[in-house]
Amino acid sequence: MNFLAASIESLGAKIVGGLNVGYGLFALLTEAVLALLDRNTWNRATFDVVIKQVYFTAVQILPVFLTYALVISWLIISIILTTARDFGLTEFASEMTIRVLVLELLPFLTALYIALRSGSAMNTEIALMQVNNELDALAHCKVPPMQLEFLPRLIGGVVSVVALATLAGLLALLMAYLAIYGLNPAGFDPFTRTLAKIFDFRIVAGLFFKCALFGLAVTLIPITAGLETPKKLFMVPVSVLRGMMRVFFAIVVIEVVSLALKYI
Amino acid sequence: MARVAFDLPLRANLSALDNIALIPLYQRHYSADEAARQAHALLAQLGHAGIASLRDPDLTPAQRFVTQLARALMLKRPRLVIDRPGATLYDVPYPGFIRQLAAQTDTPGTWEIYDFSWNQPLYSE
Repeated sequence: MNFLAASIESLGAKIVGGLNVGYGLFALLTEAVLALLDRNTWNRATFDVVIKQVYFTAVQILPVFLTYALVISWLIISIILTTARDFGLTEFASEMTIRVLVLELLPFLTALYIALRSGSAMNTEIALMQVNNELDALAHCKVPPMQLEFLPRLIGGVVSVVALATLAGLLALLMAYLAIYGLNPAGFDPFTRTLAKIFDFRIVAGLFFKCALFGLAVTLIPITAGLETPKKLFMVPVSVLRGMMRVFFAIVVIEVVSLALKYI
Repeated sequence: MARVAFDLPLRANLSALDNIALIPLYQRHYSADEAARQAHALLAQLGHAGIASLRDPDLTPAQRFVTQLARALMLKRPRLVIDRPGATLYDVPYPGFIRQLAAQTDTPGTWEIYDFSWNQPLYSE
């Protein structure tokens, strides 16, 4: 009986904890959207911080990210082409490459890359700000943390994931063309026809929306996890661990839902 | 009321100048250049223009206090409360140091120091 009560209590605590996390995410997102729509938010200072965030999140990592996208794309394209040739399905190789790489794998890997590089840093920084009272100090000075710290990171994350996934996708398309047709311009017609067949409005809008959701997940979740940190320094690693687990879970859920909507 | 206190630290990843410039930038909507100019002028008035580019971990306790004080003065509130200065200013004889800083500023309003009673003799030296 005691075991049953303890199990129910533990399950209840987990559910309440989950609901609290969900509420925290929803509350911060609502606050961010309201700040985004507020005309007073959009002064030169906020704009400058947004530009800095985009620079740190997307531009600074461009050489490493493009190399990584190039290597992954080249490997996947080679695997798909070899398999397609083995099974006599060469005419489907370009469509398969685009569907696997551009629509699914590269946006997913971009989100993971940004989550590991910027999301974890964001989680740690916000957690340290919370522990060190820096957010209280900003509030005392009437400097809105949403405008200075959170909103620029959210916008920077969304813009960065969308931009980097687009760049990686374009690079993969170029690689796919070169791998299938080489430098022969004769392949341009069938290749662009395949592109037009795949990229209808619904798919492009869905891809953009998925990347934006990825961008939101890799910034909103670490910020919320950072803000939840109790004011104890030893809780910072725990906060980062929880935040990054939630980010991973959210990225996987977004990808699975997107796949289910597309193919089921 | 503006407070200078150990529990109101500087933003660690910003320079001393940026910490002070945040106030005119976000409260009075000055341009970044004008906000930086005002912050620099205040640091110069307090005799610490040289620390403008330093971030919190690179500041000495006295320099950190000066930056926190400049940030509080930038708020231009009628009352300035310095809360337990010994917690921040542990590397200088602080009553004299604060007196010297007060003499260097021309901001209106009152300065009040709240300190532990056992530190009272320090102020009469």
